[in-house]
Amino acid sequence: MQPRLETEEVIVNLGPQHPSTHGVFRMILRLEHEVITEAIPVVGYLHRGLEKLAEVRTYTQIIPYTDRLDYLAAMLNNLGYVQAVEKLAGIEVPERAEYIRVICAELSRIASHLLFVATFAMDVGAITGFMYPFRDRERVLDLLEMVSGSRLTVSYMRVGGVAEDLPEEFLPALKKFLDDLPACIDEYNGLITGNEIFQARTKYVGRLDPQVAINYGISGPVLRASGVYYDLRKLRPYGIYDRFDFEVPLGKNGDCFDRFVVRIKEIEQSARIIRQAVEQLPEGPVMGKVPKVLRPPKGAEVYHEIEGAKGVLGYYLVSDGSNRPYRMHVRAPSFINLGLINEMVRGWKVADVIAILGSIDICLGEVDR
Amino acid sequence: MFGQGLLKGLQITWREFFNKKVTILYPEQRPPLPPRFHGSFRLEAEKCIACGICVTACPNRVIRLDSVREGKKRRLTYYVMYLQYCLFCGLCVESCNQEALHFTQDFELAQYTREDLALVLVKAPVVAEAAAAAQGEGEGA
Amino acid sequence: MLENLFVAIGDWFNNLGARAGAPYWGDLLELVWILVAILVFLGLGVAMLVLLERRVAAFIQVRYGPNRVGPQGILQTIADMVKLLGKEIIIPRAADKVLFLLAPVLVVVPVVMLFAVVPFGKDMVPIDMNIGLFYFISVASLTTIIVWMGGWASNNKYSLVGAMRVVSQMVSYEIPLVLSLLGVVMLVGSLKISDIVRAQEHVWFIFTQPVAFLIYVVAACAEVKRVPFDLVEGESEIIAGPYTEYGGMAYALFMLAEYGELILISALATTCFLGGWLAPFGLTFIPSWVWFFLKLNLMILFFMWLRWTYPRIRVDQLMHFGWKVLVPLSLANIFITGIGMYVYRALGW
Repeated sequence: MQPRLETEEVIVNLGPQHPSTHGVFRMILRLEHEVITEAIPVVGYLHRGLEKLAEVRTYTQIIPYTDRLDYLAAMLNNLGYVQAVEKLAGIEVPERAEYIRVICAELSRIASHLLFVATFAMDVGAITGFMYPFRDRERVLDLLEMVSGSRLTVSYMRVGGVAEDLPEEFLPALKKFLDDLPACIDEYNGLITGNEIFQARTKYVGRLDPQVAINYGISGPVLRASGVYYDLRKLRPYGIYDRFDFEVPLGKNGDCFDRFVVRIKEIEQSARIIRQAVEQLPEGPVMGKVPKVLRPPKGAEVYHEIEGAKGVLGYYLVSDGSNRPYRMHVRAPSFINLGLINEMVRGWKVADVIAILGSIDICLGEVDR
Repeated sequence: MFGQGLLKGLQITWREFFNKKVTILYPEQRPPLPPRFHGSFRLEAEKCIACGICVTACPNRVIRLDSVREGKKRRLTYYVMYLQYCLFCGLCVESCNQEALHFTQDFELAQYTREDLALVLVKAPVVAEAAAAAQGEGEGA
Repeated sequence: MLENLFVAIGDWFNNLGARAGAPYWGDLLELVWILVAILVFLGLGVAMLVLLERRVAAFIQVRYGPNRVGPQGILQTIADMVKLLGKEIIIPRAADKVLFLLAPVLVVVPVVMLFAVVPFGKDMVPIDMNIGLFYFISVASLTTIIVWMGGWASNNKYSLVGAMRVVSQMVSYEIPLVLSLLGVVMLVGSLKISDIVRAQEHVWFIFTQPVAFLIYVVAACAEVKRVPFDLVEGESEIIAGPYTEYGGMAYALFMLAEYGELILISALATTCFLGGWLAPFGLTFIPSWVWFFLKLNLMILFFMWLRWTYPRIRVDQLMHFGWKVLVPLSLANIFITGIGMYVYRALGW
C-alpha cells in the first residue's frame, strides 16, 4: 500500500505591488505544491469613484474622466461615451467627425494592443520583446499628441463631433506609420510569436472553452480567441463602421497563444480600417449642432455599447432633464473578463498564472473605475 | 526544423543592435512637441473679459478668478490656476470665447512645495486708478 | 617579450626567493602574485561585465543604457558598488543568522578557486593539474549548495521554493555539461587543461564537436542561471528567489559570484572549443593572452545575446528538456565521437 503524500495547502498573495499584474491588482492564490486550487481576485485598489463623480459634472465635463477608465486606449472610451450621450439627446454628428473618430479610435486600439504585446512578452520573460512594441507605440502616441495635445488622456471627442480638426502634419505622419507597421509586426512575429520557448510557454495554457466564455459574459479578443465570432463592429455597427471592409480574426484553441495572435492580427485589421477611413475622409465641419447647454429629455435613459480594446465597453446613462446625468454606469470589459480568472487558473502552475493573467489583458483603470 | 524560431529571434536582435537608438538624451535634447501640446497655461490679460466661462467649464475647479467692475466693463484683477488639481484636458482653453487662454509647451512643472504649484497668471493690485496697472502678466514659478 | 609578460613577472618573484637562498619563499611570492592577478582580473572583469551587460542589453533594446557616469558610463559599476556598500543588510528575525551571512561570503569562494585552472595564455595556467578539467567540474557544483543554503537560511517561503529550483536545475544540467565535455576529453585523451588547448593546434574542437558545443552552451546557461533558464531569480512567485532577503553588500556578492561564473563558463568554452590561447590563422604576433581575452569576450557577448533575446522556460519544461533531450543527445554525441575516433585510427589518418 502506497502511503499518501501529505501536502499542505499554502496561501500565497500575489500582491497589489507586482511587476506582472498590470496595475494594482491582488490575487490570493491557494496552492497545493506548485498547482493552484483557487484564485480569489481582490480589486478596488484603484477605485476613484468615477461613476459618482459623473453625477455632479456636466456631460462635457465627464469626457476627461472617461479617458481615465481604460487609460491605454483613451479614444475608445471617449467614443463610447459621446456616442451614448448623442443617442440620449438625439444629436447628429457630421461625416468628417465620424471618420476622424474612427481613425482615432482604431489608432487607440493599435496602441492598446501594442502595449499588450509588450507586457505579455515581458511577463513570459523576453524583456527585449517589451522594448520593440513600446518603440512603435511611441509613434502612435505621437500621432495622438499631434491631434489632441495629450498622449494618453486625450479627451479629444466632444458631444456632437470632435474638439478640433486634424492638423496638416497628421495625415502624412499617419501614412508613414501605417507603411512601417507591417515591418514592425514581422519583427514581433519573428522575435516573440515564432520563438519556440514562447510557444512552449503559451500553447495549450489557460484554455478557455467557448461555451464557458459565453456563459461568463466574456467579450473582446479573449472571446474571439476561443473561436466565437463576436465583434460589435460587425454585428451591431455603431457610427460608420459598416462602411469598412475588415476581417475579424478568430482563434482555434482559446489558449494564451491564440489570444496573443488574435491581438496581433487585430492590429493589422485596424491598420486596414484606418487606411480606408483616410481614403474616404470627406471635407466638412467637425462639430454638429449641439445646444449651448445640453439638456437631454427628462427620464431618458440609454445603454450604448462599443467594441473597446479589451472587450465590449458599455455606457449606461440616465438623464433627469438637467445638464448633469442622473446616473452613469460603465460596463467595463476588464472587470467582467476578470470574473473568469478563477476558472481559468485552476489546475495550472504559478508560472502559468502570470501568463494567463497577462493574456486576458486587463487594465486596472477599467476594473476599478 | 526545431530551433528556426530561435535563430530568427537572434537575427532580429543582432540587427537591432546596430540600428539607430530612439532615446532622446534629455536634458541635452528636448522632445519635439506638437503645437497643440497641453503644457502650462498663458493668459492674455487684455483680451480677458473675466466672464468666468473657463471657471465653470473646468471639471475640477482648478481656476479661480477675481474681477472688478469699471463702469460698463469688467477688469480682471486676479487669475490663478491650482495645477495640482488640473487634468490638462483643455476644456477651459476651448471654452474661452475671447481666445485669451492658451496652452504653452512647458511641461517641466514640478515644484518643491505645494504652494508653488498654484500658477498665478494675473495678479493686479485692486486700485481705484484705472490706468495701466493691470497688465501684470507674471507666470508664477 | 609582451607574450610572456605575466610569466616573466612570476619568474621574477620566484627568482627573488631563489637569490635570497629560500626557494620556498620564492614559490610563495609567485603564488601570491598569481592570486593578486586573478583577484584583480576578477574584480575588474566583473565591474566591466556589469556595465557591458547593461550596455549590450540597452543597445539591443534600441536605447543607450548608462552613459552619464564617466565617459560611456565606465564608472557606473563603481557608483553602484558605493551605493550598495552603504546599504543595510536586513537580517530577518527568524532567519538562521550564521548561515544567512555565511552564504554570500562562501559563494565567491568556488568562483575564485576555479580561476586556478583557467589558461589565460601560453604557460599561464595558474595551477596546471593533471585533472584540471575534472577539478573544474567538481568545484563548480559547490555553488549549488551554497545558494541553496542562502535560500534556506532566509526562512522565507519564496526563497525556499527558489532554492529548491536552484538545486533541481543545477543538478539536472550538470550531467549534459559533463557529458558534452567528455566528447572533448575523448579527442584529447587527457584531462590536463594545457593538453586540451594544445590538442587544438590544427583544428578547433568547435568544428569537430559542434553538437557538444551546442549542448555545452545550453547546459552552461542553465548552470549559471541565465535566461532562458533564470526562473530561479526572475520569476519565483514575485521576488528574487533565494536572493530575496539579501540587500546591500550581500546581494552584491551574489551578483559578483554570478558574473564570475559567467566569465568561468566562457573561459571553459574558449578552452575546450575555441582553441584557448591559440592564434587562428597563425597570427602569433598578438600575445596569447590577448587572444584568450578576445575569445573570452566573444563567448561572453554570445551569452549576453542569448539572454536578451529569449523568454523564460517554465520549471517542468526545464526538467523535461534537460533529462529527456540533452542527456540522450550528449550520450549520442559520445557514442558517435567514439566511433569516429575508431574509424579515424583504423584508416590511419
